[in-house]
Amino acid sequence: MKKSTVSDIKAGAMFALPGLLVFFLVVIIPFVYGFYLTFTDWNGVSQLKSFVGFRNYADTFRDTEFWSSMWLTLRYVVISVFLVNIVAFFLAYLLSNGIRGQNFFRAGFFTPNLIGGVVLGFIWKFIFSNVFTAVGKSLGAEWLSKSMLSAPKSAYFALILVTVWQLAGYMMLIYIAGFTGLSHDVLEAASIDGATGWRRMRSIILPLMVPSFVICIFLTLSRTFMVYDLNLTLTKGGPYASTRLVAMHVYEKAFTSRNYGVGQAEALFLFLVVALISGVQVWMGRKKEVSA
Amino acid sequence: MKRSITVISVVLMALLMFTGCSKGSTESASTTATAASVSKVSITLLNSKGEIQTGLEKIAAQFEKDKGIHVEVIACGAGEVPYTKVTTMYNSGNAPTLAILDPTDIVGLTKEYALELTGEAWTAETDSLNLVIDGKIYSFPFCVEGRGIIYNKAAIEATLGREFDPRTINSYSSFKAILAELRSKGMENPVFIAKEDWSLGAHQLGFIYDAYDGTTAGSEVIINELKAGKDPLTIDRFNQFVDTMDLMLEYNFAKADPLGADYDQGALELACGNVAFWPNGCWAWPNLVEGGADADGEFGFISFVLGDDTSDFANNSIQASASKQIMIDRVQASAEQQAAAKEFINYLVYDATGQKMFVEETALIPAAKNNPNAPLDPLGQDIAERTAEGRLYTSCFIAPSDHWSVMGAAMQKYIAGMSSKKELASTLSQYWKAQN
Amino acid sequence: MTEASKKVGGTKKVVIDVLLFILVAVLFVAFMIPFLMTILNSFKVKMDILRNPLSLAPSKGFSLSNYVEAAKKMNYFTAFFNSFIVTGFSTFFVTILSAMCAYYYVRHDNKFSKICSSLMSASMIIPFQAIMIPLVYIYGAKLGLLNHRSTLIFMHTGFAMSMSVFIFQGFIKSNVPLALEEAAKIDGCGRYRTFFQIVFPLLGPTTATLIILNVLAFWNDYLLPSLVLGVKAIKTLPLSTYEFYGTFSADYGLIMAALILTVLPILVIYLVLQKAIISGVVAGAVK
Repeated sequence: MKKSTVSDIKAGAMFALPGLLVFFLVVIIPFVYGFYLTFTDWNGVSQLKSFVGFRNYADTFRDTEFWSSMWLTLRYVVISVFLVNIVAFFLAYLLSNGIRGQNFFRAGFFTPNLIGGVVLGFIWKFIFSNVFTAVGKSLGAEWLSKSMLSAPKSAYFALILVTVWQLAGYMMLIYIAGFTGLSHDVLEAASIDGATGWRRMRSIILPLMVPSFVICIFLTLSRTFMVYDLNLTLTKGGPYASTRLVAMHVYEKAFTSRNYGVGQAEALFLFLVVALISGVQVWMGRKKEVSA
Repeated sequence: MKRSITVISVVLMALLMFTGCSKGSTESASTTATAASVSKVSITLLNSKGEIQTGLEKIAAQFEKDKGIHVEVIACGAGEVPYTKVTTMYNSGNAPTLAILDPTDIVGLTKEYALELTGEAWTAETDSLNLVIDGKIYSFPFCVEGRGIIYNKAAIEATLGREFDPRTINSYSSFKAILAELRSKGMENPVFIAKEDWSLGAHQLGFIYDAYDGTTAGSEVIINELKAGKDPLTIDRFNQFVDTMDLMLEYNFAKADPLGADYDQGALELACGNVAFWPNGCWAWPNLVEGGADADGEFGFISFVLGDDTSDFANNSIQASASKQIMIDRVQASAEQQAAAKEFINYLVYDATGQKMFVEETALIPAAKNNPNAPLDPLGQDIAERTAEGRLYTSCFIAPSDHWSVMGAAMQKYIAGMSSKKELASTLSQYWKAQN
Repeated sequence: MTEASKKVGGTKKVVIDVLLFILVAVLFVAFMIPFLMTILNSFKVKMDILRNPLSLAPSKGFSLSNYVEAAKKMNYFTAFFNSFIVTGFSTFFVTILSAMCAYYYVRHDNKFSKICSSLMSASMIIPFQAIMIPLVYIYGAKLGLLNHRSTLIFMHTGFAMSMSVFIFQGFIKSNVPLALEEAAKIDGCGRYRTFFQIVFPLLGPTTATLIILNVLAFWNDYLLPSLVLGVKAIKTLPLSTYEFYGTFSADYGLIMAALILTVLPILVIYLVLQKAIISGVVAGAVK
């Protein structure tokens, strides 16, 4: 790390400042204000609020539902991050190989991202509770005639399925960009050296793809931790509140239970947890990158 | 060098646009709510009933033509909780002048934000439906909605091969008897129970409060008892409610997958006559039509029967109350806007065009009894008839905003057979005890 | 496909290629099920959709009426125009500003950029619900800036900065050789000129990727526009479909038709940009 110089400052003003300014105005300032609100007993709408110190944080620790939804979310995140990245990497690899109809497939696998959160949940709810059951009934298959959304385990699985369905195409795009960024000279040199198949994948491609992995895992982590729209419109946290992930719990705490301060404190706590996890992940990734 | 100059100017433009966007953009959005024009008053109306959005916009347009006041109808979108919407609007300084909300939400906002309306003339037209808070009225009862068990007369008569008189279903036993008869004549499972938490938690379970003595004050009595720790298992209405629920579950069309049975399917099955009964409310009519119901088909309500006393009011009448109320903002609206908002309400109550459009465009039942236009659909007509005959009770229990969601989940668990009556009772008890 | 890209994976066995093709094709069909069902059912009336979503011979037949009604109720052309303006400007600003910012972070590895860059990364995981209320409070009640499209563009840009910078940063670090810039410097190019003529073109594929991701995010966003745009005349497409969801029930046919109408324009943008990614690859190979 160098000390800042005059040239650094000048370049900073020219390049970094405009973007940073917008970023600070839109994200950081409201965030800081939100942080302040966690120390008040504000109910979300009143004109009055008084300072209550750390009481909201104490309530956060006592809120057992918060912890159980946090645990539920953690498992959801781990499974989703694994599946999304395996599927995405696999797709990207296949579709960077000159397979017939490559561009068509790329576009196709990406299309799930064309749909926004609320509609996405609605369409999938329709698929799970109307289409699949109709298929089940016409085939006479008992297990398929029941909606996946009506039992806790299968509804949880449905959430994961839709997450993978949507995010895999998104991450695929980043992996493809990574693959196309690989220098062909390196790969050609490697194949002249006789590295083929799995060995070439493991010893040459994977290390070079580390930056893409860091980005994709980070993005999947943050996306899945924050999932709200899908949770709300697909399962609505049900059946009987068994799939209520943490973002939804926080939202309901703040607005449905009208406990804004506690909801906000829980959101901040969630932020810290995710920051910690993804911070470690990025740090480990970047270290690998350097050594590779 | 030329290139870098263009680049710098683009960036500068961007900055200018951003930092000065308050000035720069007024001409691009001259229709904003805040920019009330000099001659015309402009007010906003938050609508939390998605299905009447188009109808309300038509009424607003007509109102503007007649009275020269512009009403912007703001919808509360998919997945948005009305209370959250109104909260963010208050925070953003764009509070709606008029807000159509559930009574619970009105209660939450009254103290700080609602304009007192006790002296308004229409209060006489809506008397028993007024939401009275500490002896004062702060909201206009917008519409009446009733709930009970909807029947499809044609389907019942076709199955039974005899005439069906809904008035004969006035006790648990008579309901049980007709269900058994329907089953024996070939309609295996004549009841549809929708899985939605709002339906189960607020509308069905709500009968234990609303049917206490049929008044809102009575619902408070039972709620206070629960808060004080009374065991639900010792409460008559709770036991009667679970009995009726169990009976319906025994005859549940969606027995195989109770939590896969949604509202839309319910409307469809009842409309087609695959089931005879569906516990729900008058708002279901448009959905029954979508399901293929005939506009002059014979649909109507029987009571959500509770116990075997045939003289019990709960077994002879259905619950109907002003499920949506309109409040006027006291804090952020100008005096002029508040006057305009009052005029809009008066337009709905007293103006002949307003009265007519209310009934025809929103297909709702007006709370004001001076509206001469009869409801257009069979469910609304049933309620109008019951109003005339006094076969309604108007209790409208007020519970904390998360009641439907917490108790809805408990009810889902119950209808899925994953919990017992005892567990349901203890969840209910826990919920209320935690509200102290 | 070009010779070069064919060699990335290596194996030349035809059998494996065919098997892989079949595998991809099967996966593809599975991925497409929701779309196929949406398209199929968007031409039916609600009763037929619920009765049998798979049916190819619905009782009321297929018709375009859902599309006509959806377009009318959504105020399609106005909403389309609003979405277009908001998405276009936001994407433009965020792309330029984030590329410049990322470039600075990579080339000026000082304390300031370290702090700002970590702050940005961290901000990506702030739950939006946590800043929603403060945001409307500051920009609405305090500054009175809501109900303007430019406010939305400004906010979109701010929220999208972090991820765009994050992605640009990684690629600039690994794919833009410092030597080129130094040569340009010796040739007497100014900073902006070096950046826009030498560095930015090298970011081609990444830029195209980011444009797609950002366009999608802006085009489909619901929550932020719903907070900022309250007035009908400036509503975007996702905001205009809210009416199709009633309190108790939703209008399936209309929602599906509206979805197709919302997605189509963006699909076109995607297909155009995909070409840019591919030509970017070729350009990269030639360099």
